[in-house]
Amino acid sequence: MAQAQSPDPNFETDFWKDANLRKTWDEIVPGQPRQTIPYKLTQEAIALYCKAVGETNPLYLDEAAAKAGPFGGITAPPAIHILLMFACTPADDWMRSPGTVNAGQSWSYNIPARPGDTITLQARALDKFIKRERLFVVHDNVFFNHNGDVICSGRGQTIRPL
Amino acid sequence: MTATFDNLKPGDAIEGPSFLVSRESIRLFCDASLDYNPLHLDDEYMKGSFGKTTFGGIIMHGMNNFGLISRMLTDWATPAGAVHRRLETRRLKPVKPGDTITPVGIVKAKQVTDKSRWVVVDVAVNNESGEKVAMGEATIEFPASAKAS
Repeated sequence: MAQAQSPDPNFETDFWKDANLRKTWDEIVPGQPRQTIPYKLTQEAIALYCKAVGETNPLYLDEAAAKAGPFGGITAPPAIHILLMFACTPADDWMRSPGTVNAGQSWSYNIPARPGDTITLQARALDKFIKRERLFVVHDNVFFNHNGDVICSGRGQTIRPL
Repeated sequence: MTATFDNLKPGDAIEGPSFLVSRESIRLFCDASLDYNPLHLDDEYMKGSFGKTTFGGIIMHGMNNFGLISRMLTDWATPAGAVHRRLETRRLKPVKPGDTITPVGIVKAKQVTDKSRWVVVDVAVNNESGEKVAMGEATIEFPASAKAS
């Protein structure tokens, strides 16, 4: 199957690689910041996200239409944090552990991300607990643009692989 | 008709376009999200057991549900001058290739604050059998400047 153009050509797509470096549920310390990496968002990465969820809104895709819109230029859809989460996460981070199951999340949106933004993530594990013999970790995250403005903030739960 | 804060009432329904899930759509979501977890790629791995859970084959990213709900909300809010401010979801059932899923919303409550106006919407994603695969809640801001059209 033809692969789409990746939003980050240097991204390691084999999640088994470095798996032994990643913290397990036992090793994750709630409150401890996660190491993250800045990511430069591009119009191509926005377009690929839009394609994956069927977004056709010209505010995200068409320079001329977006220029006449409320933000004066192309913006990313609010849920672009779906991409940003992995784009800003290094290969040895536990968020990339194979078998990590997403159990739920909440996100709040402040201002849209734009192509050309260099985006940074402040993130940490916030809590961990055991429920019905499953191991959960709560993570919280705030994405900023290069001006230091909050783009969005969110909290989620994952079930950790055993 | 474009939604306005004044004409909305609890029980009003929103629906987004249906989405056919395929191995290709899941692979595309891997590339778009950089989430290459083998849950979404590796059938052999997915034959195994995950503690208390077995899936039997690859599953769609839970965040694909989130993205479809978010698309429905922005398509509804933006023409009204309203802004998608919050979305909370949780997964109820795994989604697999061949499923067709549809995001839906029902207006739950309206709230006026000192500086703005807000609509709370119950949201869900249903599969082709009418089962809920994800559910949650969203908040849409209707700034005072978002006039009736």
